[in-house]
Amino acid sequence: MSRPRTLLRLAAVVAAAAVALTACGGGAGSASGATLRWGFALPTSWDPVTSSTGNDINTISLVYASLTQLDEKATAVPGLAESWKYNADGTAVTFTLRPNLTFTDGTPLNADAVKQSLLRGKTQQNSLLKDQLATIKDITVAGDRDVTLVLAAPDYQVPNLLAGKTGAIVSPTAFTEDAAAIPTAPVGAGPFKFESFVPESKAVLVKNPGYWDAADVKIDRLELTPTTDAATVIAAVQSGALDVSYIPGNQIPQAKAAGLEVDVIDSLQVNQVDVHSGLAPLTDRRVVDALKYAVDRQQIIDVVNAGVGDVVYQPFPKGYVAFDPSLDTAFAYDPAKARQLLADAGYAPGQLALTVTVNSISQSTAELVQQQLQAVGVNATIKVVPPGSSTWQQEVYLGRKAQFALDGTVGRESPVQNLTVVYGPEGLMNTSKVSTPEFLAALDAVRRTPLDSPDYPRVLQAAVRTGVEMSPSFSLGTQPRVVVRNKKVSPLPHFLSQYRWEGVTVGSTT
Amino acid sequence: MLRSVVASRTGTVSVAVLVFVALLAVAGPWLAPHDPLLQDPQAILAGASAEHWLGTDNLGRDVASRLLAGSTLSLVAALEAVAVGLVLGVVPALLSVHLGRAVEWLSLRLMEALVTLPFLVFAVAMTALLGNGLQQAMLAVGVLVAPGFYRVTRAAALPVATAQYVEAAVLAGASPWTVLRRHVWPKVVPAVAVSTASLLGASLVIVSSLTFLGIGITPPTPTWGGMLATDLQYLFQRPFGPFVPAVLIVATVWACNGIADALRDAPALSAERKVAAHVG
Repeated sequence: MSRPRTLLRLAAVVAAAAVALTACGGGAGSASGATLRWGFALPTSWDPVTSSTGNDINTISLVYASLTQLDEKATAVPGLAESWKYNADGTAVTFTLRPNLTFTDGTPLNADAVKQSLLRGKTQQNSLLKDQLATIKDITVAGDRDVTLVLAAPDYQVPNLLAGKTGAIVSPTAFTEDAAAIPTAPVGAGPFKFESFVPESKAVLVKNPGYWDAADVKIDRLELTPTTDAATVIAAVQSGALDVSYIPGNQIPQAKAAGLEVDVIDSLQVNQVDVHSGLAPLTDRRVVDALKYAVDRQQIIDVVNAGVGDVVYQPFPKGYVAFDPSLDTAFAYDPAKARQLLADAGYAPGQLALTVTVNSISQSTAELVQQQLQAVGVNATIKVVPPGSSTWQQEVYLGRKAQFALDGTVGRESPVQNLTVVYGPEGLMNTSKVSTPEFLAALDAVRRTPLDSPDYPRVLQAAVRTGVEMSPSFSLGTQPRVVVRNKKVSPLPHFLSQYRWEGVTVGSTT
Repeated sequence: MLRSVVASRTGTVSVAVLVFVALLAVAGPWLAPHDPLLQDPQAILAGASAEHWLGTDNLGRDVASRLLAGSTLSLVAALEAVAVGLVLGVVPALLSVHLGRAVEWLSLRLMEALVTLPFLVFAVAMTALLGNGLQQAMLAVGVLVAPGFYRVTRAAALPVATAQYVEAAVLAGASPWTVLRRHVWPKVVPAVAVSTASLLGASLVIVSSLTFLGIGITPPTPTWGGMLATDLQYLFQRPFGPFVPAVLIVATVWACNGIADALRDAPALSAERKVAAHVG
């Protein structure tokens, strides 16, 4: 009779101890075993070398650490490298790595690993980083921690450039063994280690205790799922299927009414229209200019995004160093001028036909633009690109089939890099692939100007102006990140450049 | 046949609903108070008013006008699918009964293969292949409802084809066409009519599902499914927004099924079927 009672007491003591230990475990602010479910978008590739959209930095940076990273204001600060130093004429920069770094597969992350990783980006046949890494002529290594990038010409943008996927360091062991596996099985030294991945469905990552800033990572497990239907996001966060996601501005009242937290975070993202001037009738510059004046940007922001965002005529937000105030009214809405330009180009009202290409979640914008174009006599039809992690890339960036694509740049770590992507001769978003010598010279001048020089803002803004005036594509407005989160998740830090998770905690209550 | 349908209460109500929806579809362009595509950014997500009977959508378009325009497209699309299914199902079924074993074997295998294809995936694949249009999507749906017609028609035609009076007609020199037209077809019609009504409802559900997903339509074309998808994004602002398109879809499908039931249960038609079965 006494034996069962003893066992019962023992079980009670064990249960109480377990409860007490669990309660103590969350001392850092996050419950032990904290899982965060993030509804966002899966990257086009988990390999930074073959990733084909800037938006991927938000997810790729979960797995990879870069040599540098950007602070809240998008200024380069130490990452894997604890410091860097330029030579006198800006033609070489030496990065000093933090000590004792390793990749999640156990490979030492030393100067030689950095060299191999960057060289792969420069040389791999299908690399999409070649353009950005072209500024690096040679890479030399001194000891385990110093790696020197010898540049083709003075370029003070390199620390910024390497803060994103361009500087994301991949384990040489992994890509030497099987480079083709990296897009689905990445190995880096970022805040999380890759655990599993189902394409188009889900990625599971666990905290990497070897990350150089692991103390700031309070999330033990991160589950990433794509969200394709905005209508379901709030319900998903409310039900706990997701903990954090993003919503359009017009759903803010609904999210708040559902008892969820909403953070509007300024970002480098600027919506724009990619105009392919190689496809008729956009070969006529007057037609292209007419389209720039025909689009009522403020109406798009008000109607589609409930007033969240600002009209801009350049690919940078107000307040950022590259933002040129002189472009504030560059292509202000002027339907009469648009009609006149079309008439000058020989198009009577209704004669010009155009296809507006849009992704499946931006159809409202396309319908609004369609009516705005119709008001100046352009008959637009809408082509919806179906959802998928690479469908937009295949249709617009790589296929270059779109005349007039409603797109957006999430920004880049270096303003020169962003200008290159948007306006450069090989820029992903420059679907025309046309650039002028004046623009390239202006970009070169920016690269040669040290970031702490008083001339830097002026030189940079001049390059922006040249790009805006040259390009057939045009900006529409900023797109702040509207983050919706469960109350158990602490606020996300406000970084202009991307989502970051340092310091974010996940509590145990909803 | 109509008299048999309206003999029951369900049949009467179903016919009334279907006639009402058909009237909306036919007279929609004249009844619509506004241009269904005209946006008014100053009046987005407005509630019901004298100006906008059912309010406005996320781009300030008149919801009532869009529903009326959507009625035409949704119904015509469903009819199109059923028409394709009728041709591709009924004709091979009749031929399989009268043109020997080779045709019978081939058509049976073909229909079995079609039955294995999932509706939505096949429709999506067809629109990817032929272009994102309602015609293409409905062609796909029509192909997939064809086995339903095939099986019903064949089941009804088989006993008739081996009936003594049909054999007598053949011996008397009647051509296969005459046999089909005079002896087989009248016995098959009731079964085909039931299937047509039933599959019309099913096709409408498929059309609405596809357009809900944005397949088969090009914005800003209004359809019931497409409007439902848009309204669901603005539930907070317009909680009753999805109600009207959803009710229209449900009521129309219910009416189609009601007519199918009424046709099945109609005494005259039941007697026809019993005779056919008895003869077989």
